[in-house]
Amino acid sequence: MQKSKTDANFEAVPDDQQVKAGVPDRALVERMAAGEERALGALYDRHGSMAYALALAIVREGADAEEVVADAFGQVWRSATQYDAGRGSVAGWLATITRTRALDLVRARGRRTRAVERAARADPDGLATPLGSSADRADRQIERHEARRLVTRSLAELPEPQRRVIELAYFGGLSQTEIAVELQEPLGTVKTRMRAGMEKLRGSLAPLLVGGSS
Amino acid sequence: MTDHQWTELAAPYALGALDPEERARFETHLADCAVCRAEVRSHKEVAALLAESAPVAMPPAALRDRVLREARRVRPIGASRPGRAPWLAAAACLVLAIGLGYAYLRERAERERTVQSLAASRDTIAARDSLIATIFSPDVVTAALAATGQAPSARVYWNPPRHRVVVAVFNLPPAPAGRTYQLWAIPHGKKPVSLGVFNTSTDGRLTAALEVPLGLTFEVTAVTEEPAGGSPQPTQTPFLVGKVSPAD
Repeated sequence: MQKSKTDANFEAVPDDQQVKAGVPDRALVERMAAGEERALGALYDRHGSMAYALALAIVREGADAEEVVADAFGQVWRSATQYDAGRGSVAGWLATITRTRALDLVRARGRRTRAVERAARADPDGLATPLGSSADRADRQIERHEARRLVTRSLAELPEPQRRVIELAYFGGLSQTEIAVELQEPLGTVKTRMRAGMEKLRGSLAPLLVGGSS
Repeated sequence: MTDHQWTELAAPYALGALDPEERARFETHLADCAVCRAEVRSHKEVAALLAESAPVAMPPAALRDRVLREARRVRPIGASRPGRAPWLAAAACLVLAIGLGYAYLRERAERERTVQSLAASRDTIAARDSLIATIFSPDVVTAALAATGQAPSARVYWNPPRHRVVVAVFNLPPAPAGRTYQLWAIPHGKKPVSLGVFNTSTDGRLTAALEVPLGLTFEVTAVTEEPAGGSPQPTQTPFLVGKVSPAD
């Protein structure tokens, strides 16, 4: 079944001390819905660094990223009873919540996101390249994470202009119109690139998708 | 817009990249297009996976404690622990729901009472402010209404710039059922004009602020007893009559 494949992929992160790696994310969320704090701890151990990395890619300061992650896990905890497995993986749900919180925080501060800052400097590497100097050690962790490796590779395989508009939308929180202004490109070009890039990603990420339309 | 053009919006929509009006139009369309809904769901999954491409960053160790500490302060919404006897859990849920429902209703009733009592207090204060503002002004003129045989007396404070009078009545028993007292302003050489109806409380007193019709000036003021609701013109000889005199 495709569903179990998704969970297995997301579970390929370091095991935690309390919960066995064999427990699917969905089961953790069910236990959280029953009020079990240990399940929340286990979920954090699996996906906390993903959430933190995502938050940090959007906000700029580590302290802000921590606030975003604490908020996001708080929301996941409070609404665990409402999680619907049919709509995507637990990790995807957490990512969506984290991204929304991070963009809200950036907007509340009246700032630009980190991704937009990078785009403004016309950084040709885009966002999918590690920022720090500890890239080697980080790479080894990526090796252990099947999903992350596939996503990173799929993004890297996109033509740079397509990757950039997708990253500006996802990490920068910009609309197509705002991206066109930011990149000084015609709106129609931005729309075409975004659509084409997303279609390619959907193809290459198919093994990770729960629903997988058509 | 053709079906094909709608579908093209699914990817930017999933990325949150549509402009507000376009998003609103697309959401209306989504409500009755299963094809687009499926497209959106699948693109949303793709979008969520983009999180995995964020540059690797390790959270500080203390963040785990913070997450757990903040979670400890709240329970998951509707959290229940399904046990070996589901009916027991269900019953417990029901009891909890009733309890919460009751607590909620009680809380709400409490809040409504507070709101009402605040509103009442505000009205009382506003009425007193109005009384005070009407009386304490250099423009105020007064009329002392002498008893015409009976014990009651009244005093009228007229504030022309504010078009208001305050009437203070003493020793006047409440009007009988179906009857009311009415205060009249009587301009020189003209018919009386009603300033409003009032009634005294059981201690025979009343203080009320009443509107004076715009532009009306009067020399005499009087009180009659009238059928409930008041009369267009007095139906009896006033039992309290007073002449307006400048304030001293």
